[in-house]
Amino acid sequence: MSEPEARGGALETADDIIVAQDVKKWFGRFQALRGVSTTIRRGEVVVVIGPSGSGKSTLIRCINRLERHDAGMIAVDGIELTDDIRDIHRIRSEIGMVFQSFNLFPHLTVQQNITLAPRNVRGVPKATADEKARELLERVGIPEQAAKYPAQLSGGQQQRVAIARALAMEPKIMLFDEPTSALDPEMIKEVLDVMAELAGTGMTMIVVTHEIGFAKAVADRVLFFDEGSIVEESPPDRFFTEPQNERSQRFLSQIL
Amino acid sequence: MSGRPLLPEEVPLVLEDARPVELAPPRPPATLGEWIRGNLFSSPFNTVLTVVAGVVIALGGYGVLRWIFVSADWQVVKANLRVFMIGRFPLEETWRIWASAYLAVFLAGLSVGVTGIGVRRTAAGAARWLILGGLVVYALIFLLDGLRVWVSIAAGAALLGIGIAVGRAGGRSLRIPLAIGWIASFLLVILLLRGFGGVPPRLWGGFVLNLVVAVVGISLSFPAGVLLALGRRSSLPVIRFFSIGVIEIVRGVPLVTLLIFGQFVLPLLLPSGVRLAPILRALVMITIFAAAYVAEIVRGGLQGIHHGQYEAARALGLPATRMMLLIILPQALRNTIPAMIGQFISLFKDTSLIAVLGLNDLLDVSRNAPRLEFSGDVKEALLAAALLFWIVAYSMSRWSQRLERRLGVGER
Amino acid sequence: MSVEATARSARPPLWRDLRVLRVAGQVVFVAVAVVFFMTLTSNLTDSLRRQGLDISLDFLRTRAGFGISEGISYSANDSFLRAFQVGVVNTLRVAGVGIVLATVLGVVMGVARLSPNWLVRKIAQVYVETIRNTPVLVQIIFWFFGVIFALPPIQEARTLGSVGILSNRIIALAWPRLEEGAGLWAIFVVAGVVAAAVAWSRLTRLGDRTGRDHHRVRWGLGVFTIVTLSGFLISGSPVRFDTPEVVRFQVEGGLQVSAGYAALLTGLVVYTGAFITEIVRGSILAVPKGQREAAEALGLNPFQQLRFVVLPQAMRIALPPITSQYLNLTKNSSLAIAIGFPDLMGVSRTIINQSGKATEMLLIVMATYLSMSLFISLVMNTINRRVALRGEGR
Repeated sequence: MSEPEARGGALETADDIIVAQDVKKWFGRFQALRGVSTTIRRGEVVVVIGPSGSGKSTLIRCINRLERHDAGMIAVDGIELTDDIRDIHRIRSEIGMVFQSFNLFPHLTVQQNITLAPRNVRGVPKATADEKARELLERVGIPEQAAKYPAQLSGGQQQRVAIARALAMEPKIMLFDEPTSALDPEMIKEVLDVMAELAGTGMTMIVVTHEIGFAKAVADRVLFFDEGSIVEESPPDRFFTEPQNERSQRFLSQIL
Repeated sequence: MSGRPLLPEEVPLVLEDARPVELAPPRPPATLGEWIRGNLFSSPFNTVLTVVAGVVIALGGYGVLRWIFVSADWQVVKANLRVFMIGRFPLEETWRIWASAYLAVFLAGLSVGVTGIGVRRTAAGAARWLILGGLVVYALIFLLDGLRVWVSIAAGAALLGIGIAVGRAGGRSLRIPLAIGWIASFLLVILLLRGFGGVPPRLWGGFVLNLVVAVVGISLSFPAGVLLALGRRSSLPVIRFFSIGVIEIVRGVPLVTLLIFGQFVLPLLLPSGVRLAPILRALVMITIFAAAYVAEIVRGGLQGIHHGQYEAARALGLPATRMMLLIILPQALRNTIPAMIGQFISLFKDTSLIAVLGLNDLLDVSRNAPRLEFSGDVKEALLAAALLFWIVAYSMSRWSQRLERRLGVGER
Repeated sequence: MSVEATARSARPPLWRDLRVLRVAGQVVFVAVAVVFFMTLTSNLTDSLRRQGLDISLDFLRTRAGFGISEGISYSANDSFLRAFQVGVVNTLRVAGVGIVLATVLGVVMGVARLSPNWLVRKIAQVYVETIRNTPVLVQIIFWFFGVIFALPPIQEARTLGSVGILSNRIIALAWPRLEEGAGLWAIFVVAGVVAAAVAWSRLTRLGDRTGRDHHRVRWGLGVFTIVTLSGFLISGSPVRFDTPEVVRFQVEGGLQVSAGYAALLTGLVVYTGAFITEIVRGSILAVPKGQREAAEALGLNPFQQLRFVVLPQAMRIALPPITSQYLNLTKNSSLAIAIGFPDLMGVSRTIINQSGKATEMLLIVMATYLSMSLFISLVMNTINRRVALRGEGR
């Protein structure tokens, strides 16, 4: 297993921000995670790939406690995830999440979607929150859509709003759960560009995706999941050119 | 989780370079103690709720049970049981009712067998049915005397069982004969009750009257409703406006008003010399009423059909009528089955409204029972009537819920 | 040119021309309908002539000559029209109060249906499954003959402390009654509302500016309470709780409702409440799971998830079916006829029996119910559009 290469800027502060040890998770009698251990460092961009049902989404959903892991240990920024609601709340407010199906709130405008959590969770003044929302929309490239409702936007635009919504909470970590799987091909790039820009700022990111190009260009490390475990873990250039594991080879041959 | 859970047996036990699968989760299904803590005392507020609800249940339950088994005087039900069931139907003709009931029970058994929707095979389901069945038998032991009735009921139960068995064995191949059987049985029942020197409608009464009105109302309102729905979606403006008018006027008016309309005005609209018995006038109005609601349900189903289905059917060269009959209606009606059953349950409950016209249905009989033969209390009589209605409506709704799950409505 | 010519020359014979067929179909339909309705009307006029009756609305102005047990002021010497108005007002009294109470009951039970507490959940479920599957008329008659008639007569009426009186004819509740000085107090109440509104908007703006919660609900209510309370004392406590009393076979004071009204209202509220319960539960469950997850991932607490994300969307889903329950309740109020409560339908039946004007009267009744339905639909559709607009934005 190779050491991930820290990118510039993040080097000095490069300590471990997410630690997972022997994490297990069951759904009924089905075991989704079979003892997953990994460590993610501050500023690292990790791409998680693997066949569907392999547990990759489950892992990131466990990291911000949308699912409760049944055994093992997960710690985020030095706080261990337990049943303590205060800890869960602290960890959630440090983690932003982007979903496959966007999950924008259809009854709120784009602007309101973005400012809802800062105002009600962080207590940010309305003017500040609005200003921040404008900046973020500018950053994801759709400043003119602030007053619209989600249903009036294209899929790519909706997903960019979802990214802006997550960023508005100023998270230390961003989780992406197959952010481009529900998009038409011509919209995938606009979302990936935003994500690549975000990676350039030194954000810690875990991205579940099948976008090989994105992984090659942006990721520091690739985790290959199969049947609930990490089967292979290596830098993208090595993973995509000379995968070590037989199952990674088979998977890559199917999707490439 | 990005995929559906695999079944355990599909998971290989040991993977080459992964950890072995642990088959048993470290957290086994909750024990009784955990369940109680999780569901009743998970937080202080929850605990308070549990205590309050517990007191309410204890007091209310004690009061109700005490009343049912100690204070209430069920003699009024026992003495009037036959009137409850058949009203003033002549005693020597009751075989007609038994025969009709056997026919219906057999067909119901067949349907249950064919659709494979019956008693849920779980411990909780079995327990529920045991308790319900026990209560029914207990009530019957109290209510019935005379071996003849017991034998007749046993015969009915046996027929139900045979029906289910035959249905199971026949499976889907029986579907069409079954549908024809139901339609034919409708005519057959009317013939059984009325024909061969039978009993005139004015003597029909009790719960049987409610059932007959419900069945006839359903059978007639369904085709009428489908026609109205098609009319409402017709491209011919005259027909469309006519349908909209009928549907909206009928739906905006209470059934009581329509029934009274049937009582006072309908006779005036008929040619002189033609006279309808009050029960038939009520039936006409109930059918019109139900048809408007059926029409709206069917319209909902038709709206759910994708435009492409029409285009595909036309592209295949099907003429309009056949496109409707073969392609559109079958899909639309299938999607409306749950709503339709709900509507029929509601129609069945609404049959109690004919009591307002003074027809001797179950409600009318039960509210007058104390005066009729036994100076009991109207409360017990009404509750018995309510229970009868409830049993039929509740089992229909349970059955429909299970049918809905089976059909996977919406998934197609 | 040639295309046009082909098109014209290819004009099909009449019996195959779609446009002709469409017109013909409608003409045939209209013809059949006209013949049908003409038969009906001629039958009607025949029958009426035979009975020596005619169609007219003049009878509405003649003396009714029958009494009505309750409602707005009326005597047997008033006209049929006045009697009808009494019935309409009684229907509106039942429907209006019923809609409010059924909504409250339904929302409470709907939330109980989703409670994490197993006992609470089961109570709500048993309520729904018993009530929904029993005819509403049976329930109303049960409340009337089974429950309220079983109460003692007025002389021996049961009193609930000073709160109310239960008897088999009248049910009375203590009710606030305005006295002298109420006018002055009303001014204070208005002032209280204004002050509270000012405080509310100031604090809202302050909150927007600083981002902190300035407890606008608490302050608003506090300001309102202080102003109205002090006004109440200054104006000399102009409200008295009027407790009902039994005085010589009569109940005096308090809010009195008749046995019929109480039974009808209880029956309608309990029945409709069960349906609203299921609507409330269904619409909360119908909000996609991802919505709650997204709110959770953003760090909103469970209350905020409900308040900002789930409930606004559930409301949109619930409104149309709740509207049809309101319509049902209003129409079901006509079941009053079975327990002798003089509602619109009950009074109209008496009018029909007295005047013999069945056709006219029933048309009036239908028109009245239709306009009530229309009114409710209009109000609810307006609300619905408001709520929907915020979401769809189209």
